[in-house]
Amino acid sequence: MHPAFLYAWSDRKHLEWNASVYEVTIDTTGEVIEVEEGQTILAAALRQGVWLPFACGHGTCATCKCELLDGYVEHGDASPFALMDMEREEGKFLACCATPESDLVIEANIDVDPDFQGILVEDYAASVIAIESLSPTIVELRLSLDRPMPFQAGQYINLELPTVDRARAFSIANRPEGANEVSLHIRKVPGGSATTYVHETLAVGDAFNVSGPYGQFFVRTSDTKDAIFIAGGTGLSSPESMILDLLASDDTRQVYLFQGARNKSELYHRDKFEALAAQHANFHYVPALNEPEAADEWKGFTGFVHEAAEAHFDGKFSGHKAYLCGPPLMIDAAVTALMKGRLFEADIHMEKFLTAADGQSEITRSALFKKI
Amino acid sequence: MQAKKLNVKDKYRLLTRDLDWEFSYEDRKEAFPYEEFEGIKITDWDKWEDPFRLTMDAYWKYQAEKEKKLYAIYDAFAQNNGHLNVSDARYVNALKVFLTAVSPAEFASSNGFAWAGRHYGGAGARVAAQMQSIDELRHYQTQIHAMSHYNKYFDGFEEFPHMHDRVWYMSVVKSFFDDCRSSGPFEYIVAVSFAFEYVLTNLLFVPFMSGAAYNGDMATVTFGFSAQSDEARHMTLGLEIIKFLLEQHEDNVPIVQEWIDKWLWRGYRILAVVAMMMDYMLPQKFMSWKEAWELYFEDAGGALFKDLERYGIKMPDFTETIKNEKDHISHQAWWVFYSHGHAAAFHTWTPTAEELDWLSEKYPDTFDQYYRPRLEAAAELEAKGERFYTAGLPQLCQTCQIPMFFTNVDEGKPTEIVYRESTYNDERFHFCSNECKHIFDREPEKYVHAWLPVHQIFQGNCGGGGLDEVMEYYRMGLGEMNLDYKGSPDEKRWKKWKGVA
Repeated sequence: MHPAFLYAWSDRKHLEWNASVYEVTIDTTGEVIEVEEGQTILAAALRQGVWLPFACGHGTCATCKCELLDGYVEHGDASPFALMDMEREEGKFLACCATPESDLVIEANIDVDPDFQGILVEDYAASVIAIESLSPTIVELRLSLDRPMPFQAGQYINLELPTVDRARAFSIANRPEGANEVSLHIRKVPGGSATTYVHETLAVGDAFNVSGPYGQFFVRTSDTKDAIFIAGGTGLSSPESMILDLLASDDTRQVYLFQGARNKSELYHRDKFEALAAQHANFHYVPALNEPEAADEWKGFTGFVHEAAEAHFDGKFSGHKAYLCGPPLMIDAAVTALMKGRLFEADIHMEKFLTAADGQSEITRSALFKKI
Repeated sequence: MQAKKLNVKDKYRLLTRDLDWEFSYEDRKEAFPYEEFEGIKITDWDKWEDPFRLTMDAYWKYQAEKEKKLYAIYDAFAQNNGHLNVSDARYVNALKVFLTAVSPAEFASSNGFAWAGRHYGGAGARVAAQMQSIDELRHYQTQIHAMSHYNKYFDGFEEFPHMHDRVWYMSVVKSFFDDCRSSGPFEYIVAVSFAFEYVLTNLLFVPFMSGAAYNGDMATVTFGFSAQSDEARHMTLGLEIIKFLLEQHEDNVPIVQEWIDKWLWRGYRILAVVAMMMDYMLPQKFMSWKEAWELYFEDAGGALFKDLERYGIKMPDFTETIKNEKDHISHQAWWVFYSHGHAAAFHTWTPTAEELDWLSEKYPDTFDQYYRPRLEAAAELEAKGERFYTAGLPQLCQTCQIPMFFTNVDEGKPTEIVYRESTYNDERFHFCSNECKHIFDREPEKYVHAWLPVHQIFQGNCGGGGLDEVMEYYRMGLGEMNLDYKGSPDEKRWKKWKGVA
């Protein structure tokens, strides 16, 4: 017998270039991942930031058992005890071993959040109505859609930009008002083909397709605890939408926004949030610069954005809900700070902005945390 | 409006939590007398996230199906004389180690989960512990049944329950489970579910099961897969209990840290026998102990402790010691069993020339320098008809009960045995390591009365002072299940079956 045990934690099935790619929809949450030929569904999901339960990673423990709603899979090295014949007949499979043989719709043992509205993903035709500079490296891209797109504040859309190979995800920065317009904040990533295209080539009037809404990042309104938003760089987009939505709905909880930027020129929409803070007694705004220029004459918080939050709450976060949005390093530092202040996974929600450079790492994390 | 469909999580909550009840005329604290005595603070059992959602009817359905499949394979294995297909009869000695050391641990663990489960105030934890208790009982039974076929053809299996309570090396595993079962319910589950099931289980099961696969032992491979399919629940329970305790109250953090330190060390010490099994007992080798340790602990465990850091939990300080020991312990343990081969319920031998070369290749920094010369000297003695058996008895560590053979690798003195001691109530106690001493010093009362098999022999409690008497007390006899593989009844039978002279 093939000792499948040997492959624990090292699911290193290398991808072949130009292999076909299957789309796997996780029906439970509506998330969609792309799985390359020969790649396991678990490996693809974890690499694309989508959580599926797993433990052994090599087909013997059955933690990652999922149900197939549509499509065909190859069961791979799944142990006959972890995945019994009767289960195979019932359409069960192990995500850590199974490779798709067609596009799939699957159901996974993931908890669906009660505040998730499950708005259906659809394709929309978009055209550019404005590209405005927010900072030396960030533009606001405003798109007009062929019809209004319902979404939950905090969610994102995929842009199918001309000449860019794959769809790229960007968070929606405006609040869902039923209008057929979306606004995105886009930083020019050095060497990034999509963001460079937006900054340098895209022009008003250009048309392309978008799809959405996607994502599990939205305000858990059914939980009435006060909300802390920690945003870094263009990670302000989702929180901006969420906060505007909360304040517009006359929600009375305390809402805190900590916005991090390198220096004053990168700190965009400051005036907007200062005005909101003046207007709403329950909204509190703290900008933080980690490398202010001398010319900035910065009198606000100097340091990383999670440090601003720690200073404000004296390092104690329990009893809150936290929403984090930004690059991986910022998220990681913020999670560490929050957990040190005794706020845990169930109350921490996040949207990690990954660039192509962040994406392709092996599974080096443990199964301790599901979402953070 | 359509009623919202219950998700799996909610369904399971309703099924388990409804088994719970409010205490109206009895004091809840009296119903769960151990919930507070370890110092653990539980503020809200509702925060318990069920680590798995298997209802009882589904549980029985699945387990019955697994048993059917497993026993069909056992039957086929027996009918086809599967024991004749193993790589070499020396391999079967690895199974003797498994049955005498690991299987009783499954039974102890079943017992422990039944007890601990009774004492959790939260219904979710109670149900999870109950299922694991039944799983462990199943593992114990299926392992015995898998071995029962070998028992018909090889020596050393038949008296394992009798020997478990008496024999010097079997006391190592026994004391581990006696120790955790005599702690509180939370320490028990951290010890077994987290330290053992989650962090160390791969280092126990992978070596035995891959070893079985490489050596043609289908029955063992199959029970391994069957048991591993229950591990999903065991491993996720281990993770949930750690998260739950750490999140419930910050005062739990230092307590849990001490438990993690203690039980990872105690678990690691037990694995010395696995290290020896991998490097010396498998005729077809698949991986060295050192490689397994690097893959399953240093890589996978490293990622886990990186995540645990966020709770304020640190990687235990002794991981550096373990790293230093990985080049040594398999060789040291094998020598202990080789030289005490008259008092072990399995055979020992000197490695073949090819096996020595494999060890040199896998342990380039230590084997040729420290361990090959000793094994070659032993082989020379053997060739002269003077197979070496020590006349002495090993000194045992008061905490882990392992013979004192670990050397001072931390200070770069790999030939110097580590001796540590503590004095408690005017009595001196001896330890194999700083960590075992630390565990004793923290709770000396728990270890001062330890039933150390070697002490018991010297005190005359094991049938008498002579080797024959002790062997009779162990029900080992002399010359059947013990002594060298060469010249053993096992070897004679194997050669006869295989038609070799």
